[in-house]
Amino acid sequence: MKKRSALIVAPGRGTYNKDELGYLRRYHPHQRGMFDRFDEQRVAKGQTTLKDLDGADRFSLATMTRGDNASALIYACAYADFTSISEAFEIVAVSGNSMGWYIALACAGALSADDGFRLVNTMGTLMQESLIGGQMIYPFVDEEWRPIPGKREALLAMTRTIPGLELSIDLGGMIVFGGDEEALEAAEHALEPVGGRFPMRLANHAAFHTRMQNPVAERGRRELSLALFDQPAIPLVDGRGHAWFPKATDVEALYKYTLGHQVVEPYNFSASVKNAVREFAPDVIIVLGPGTTLGGSVAQSLIQIDWRGLSSKQAFIDRQAEDPLVLSMGMPAQRMVVTPNQ
Amino acid sequence: MDRAEIVHANFLRRVADEDLPPVGQLSLSDAELTPEALAEIFHAQVLSRQLDRISRKLQARGEGFYTIGSSGHEGNAAIAAALRVTDPAFLHYRDAAFQIARSRQLPGQTPLWDMLLSFTTSSDDPISGGRHKVLGSKALSIPPQTSTIASHLPKAVGAAYSIGLAKHCQPEHRTYSDDAIVLCSFGDASLNHSTAQGAINTAGWTAYQGVPLPLLFVCEDNGIGISVKTPGGWVEANLKNRPGLAYVACNGLDVVETYAAVRSCQAWMRRHKKPVALHMRCVRLYGHAGADAQQAYMAKDEIEAAEANDPLLHTAARLISEQIFTPSDIIDAYTKTGERVARAAEDAITRPKLRTAEAVMASIVPPKRPCSSPAEAEKSKRSEIFGTSDMRLMAEPQHMAKLINLTLTDLMRDHQEIVLAGEDVGCKGGVYGVTQKLQQRFGARRVIDTLLDEQSILGLAIGLGQNGFVPMPEIQFLAYLHNAEDQIRGEAATLSFFSNGQFTNPMVMRIAGLGYQKGFGGHFHNDNSLAVLRDIPGIVIACPSRGDDAALMLRECVRLAREEQRVVAFIEPIALYMTRDLYTDGDNQWACVYPTPGNEKITLGSVGVRGKGTDLAIVSYANGYYRSLQAQKILLDEYGIDARVVDLRWLAPLPEKALLDVTDPCQEVLVVDECRSTGSQSEELVTLFAEKRSRIAARYTAEDSFIPTGPSYASTLPSCEGIVAAVLRVANAHKVNVIA
Repeated sequence: MKKRSALIVAPGRGTYNKDELGYLRRYHPHQRGMFDRFDEQRVAKGQTTLKDLDGADRFSLATMTRGDNASALIYACAYADFTSISEAFEIVAVSGNSMGWYIALACAGALSADDGFRLVNTMGTLMQESLIGGQMIYPFVDEEWRPIPGKREALLAMTRTIPGLELSIDLGGMIVFGGDEEALEAAEHALEPVGGRFPMRLANHAAFHTRMQNPVAERGRRELSLALFDQPAIPLVDGRGHAWFPKATDVEALYKYTLGHQVVEPYNFSASVKNAVREFAPDVIIVLGPGTTLGGSVAQSLIQIDWRGLSSKQAFIDRQAEDPLVLSMGMPAQRMVVTPNQ
Repeated sequence: MDRAEIVHANFLRRVADEDLPPVGQLSLSDAELTPEALAEIFHAQVLSRQLDRISRKLQARGEGFYTIGSSGHEGNAAIAAALRVTDPAFLHYRDAAFQIARSRQLPGQTPLWDMLLSFTTSSDDPISGGRHKVLGSKALSIPPQTSTIASHLPKAVGAAYSIGLAKHCQPEHRTYSDDAIVLCSFGDASLNHSTAQGAINTAGWTAYQGVPLPLLFVCEDNGIGISVKTPGGWVEANLKNRPGLAYVACNGLDVVETYAAVRSCQAWMRRHKKPVALHMRCVRLYGHAGADAQQAYMAKDEIEAAEANDPLLHTAARLISEQIFTPSDIIDAYTKTGERVARAAEDAITRPKLRTAEAVMASIVPPKRPCSSPAEAEKSKRSEIFGTSDMRLMAEPQHMAKLINLTLTDLMRDHQEIVLAGEDVGCKGGVYGVTQKLQQRFGARRVIDTLLDEQSILGLAIGLGQNGFVPMPEIQFLAYLHNAEDQIRGEAATLSFFSNGQFTNPMVMRIAGLGYQKGFGGHFHNDNSLAVLRDIPGIVIACPSRGDDAALMLRECVRLAREEQRVVAFIEPIALYMTRDLYTDGDNQWACVYPTPGNEKITLGSVGVRGKGTDLAIVSYANGYYRSLQAQKILLDEYGIDARVVDLRWLAPLPEKALLDVTDPCQEVLVVDECRSTGSQSEELVTLFAEKRSRIAARYTAEDSFIPTGPSYASTLPSCEGIVAAVLRVANAHKVNVIA
């Protein structure tokens, strides 16, 4: 039977929450050996093990969403999800959102599983130690996920008028701002409340993908060597929408992007999704777990380019009901499609 | 079996069998090419090839509309790899691999998707908006080219010249960097076109004098032009030993050698700012285009010999010998790319198409652009530039030639980006002195004495315009435009259309023309047909009749070029250049005081009117208008016919509304056109009155003749007496009150 082509999207921070507690145990008991190796790295750094975090009796927001813990947990869940994808799918490209880029690197084979963990854990820890600035998220789409004319431009204009406010992530129908406390407060003050949720501050997040992270990027380059990186075995699509191809990748450039541009410049997740579907035309898009929110951002990105007739949220819901285009492994029903034998 | 499928099958079989061509001598390290960069070039070649294959399949399904492919020329991917993404590239239509390879240097590009949208003419196509299959990308500095053979070479010369000039003038909308080099590629058959030969000659002529011209011509020599073979050794013999032009040859089947050659050329060119002709040998696979059956004119063994030299096999051989890829890696990459292309094609065909004339035409007129206001030059500086003599003359009535000269001075003073270029415009100051003193005032860089080649003059203007200049090329005589018309018709006027308004080449082309030069010059200096310009979509044709109008209209033309990026033709009626009198000798009624730059304006779409009479409107322009005014006086004085005379001023687009507004109150309309009966403005004007006002306008035009020299110089043209007679015919026929 012909395999279905699939684009992989790896999740970013903020996707391991209360409902995800026990994810590793629940879905990946057979990956214990790999998690133990990850935990050896954690133990060596004096960090709480994944086993203890994921195996905790109850979810602790303060503990689990800290950069040093959340990054490691999400990486382990997502990478394990990736390895469990059914043979019925042919993976044609890998991408990710924000921290998901590190996961994507490992999935594509540009880093080994262990070195991918080393990268994530190191950067997560550095972020947590520095915790420079924060993130706030705000939509520019209507209830049908269609862009409100002029809204995105108006939001981006705030980065020019509010000192210290920067674009952090283009996240489907949302803009994620990064900035210091003063800048974020000024932006929140200027923005009209939407849906009782926005503007929404992201707890325990730093101002990722902004110039404020230069010291973190620099420390990252000191602590992580180029030798960890290798040619990807599967095409990788980064946070600029640029594809890196097997055997054709300048590994040093990949290293520099990962620990340079990617850390200190805006991450354009929307471009990553749009370019990946256009250049690889996958039959489906598999969003790795944990979490269930990134599928919405993927869909919003697709709606922006009217991909395969997806012109609105309703069109997306209808398509998902009929023949899902986006398969989120964080959703049990869709996970079943991706890993029927698990 | 389709040759494309034979080439495809051969590739897979020969890689699997490791039956591969020999690998070139040059090592990767000698070429300074990394294994990854070689693999990247290969990916671009493969994607280009798979796009060629799908384009044929899409056409067969009625979903694709272009099949001239790049197969056999994929070595140009190595050229792209050796250049910068900011180096403007005027590409041959077989350079898809170049564009793909270049796109890999700029993060965020979608070369596969973009080309599929182009093949399928989707309105999403990021370069032409679904108007045409063209290579091109704003982000990649690749302006789209037409398929007119070699017509892009003159503008590439202009673009290369603009780089050195921009260092000095710094135009506001400059797009090329100081150390950019311009690439211009074409096929071996195109090399023979007179346009190519002219441009190559101009490049050599320029560089020979030590003028900077960083231009890389690439002749992609596949040995055949559609069905006609290029004589063996012809390209080398043609391009080698040209004055001012360095010659470098490379084997385009060997991407390592090609990369090394271009890498070395570009470094030398960036340092020395000199042109190079790169002769890249390659092969042509599958014939000229999808419909071309090459077996009709080529022997089977010749076809197979070319196929045996498939450039992809050569690159595969190198990748395998360098142990970068195994044969199965090659097949895997090739096959997966093919599958990727096939999948994406199914999505691309669903994208929207242009459906209406309005949508198609939306980019004919370029978009406006913001321009900063010229700095208010100090009054003393203006006086300094003009000099006391011209400052004094400004206050007194002058003829048109002088007023245009004064206007050009003010415009060039205000706008550093204005550059004049033409035959004899510099030292001599033009045949009629219109550009006198301008070279002294603004230097030889901005007032360029060109060589005798109108294609090169207009190509220079197009290239300058693409780099933010507002060029004002001069065509010395209207008749000389004809051997270069494609540079306007096929190139300048189409750029905005084919690039969806992303690339523009604004200019004000000054042309001295029309008849009535007393006994001088004959046809070639008095040509009276503007038909060559009139039907070109989007261009503006201005034609003043009097000096003050000329000044104000020229300012409007420069504004249209500068701010609205229009291609403008400014027709200067030679016979009126020095005319000072209107009715009687010495009345000085055709001389005017120079309109000081300021509030007074003549805008596009306005007309000039003399008289308020409603018996009849005479509609004319230039010499015809001048003679109509003379007739107007006679008609009133001798026949009691009170006519108004309308000066069209703008011949394209026709100032319809203003014209109808001023002619509506008149009982009759007579069109006086000094151009020929056939193909002149009069045809459009008569049609306009018929269609918009159900009015039958009479016309009086020049005969369908060429212009003689000697005493009969004006015998075929409308005269004052003829206009009077024509009006009387109209008046009598329609019972207009005639008192005589």
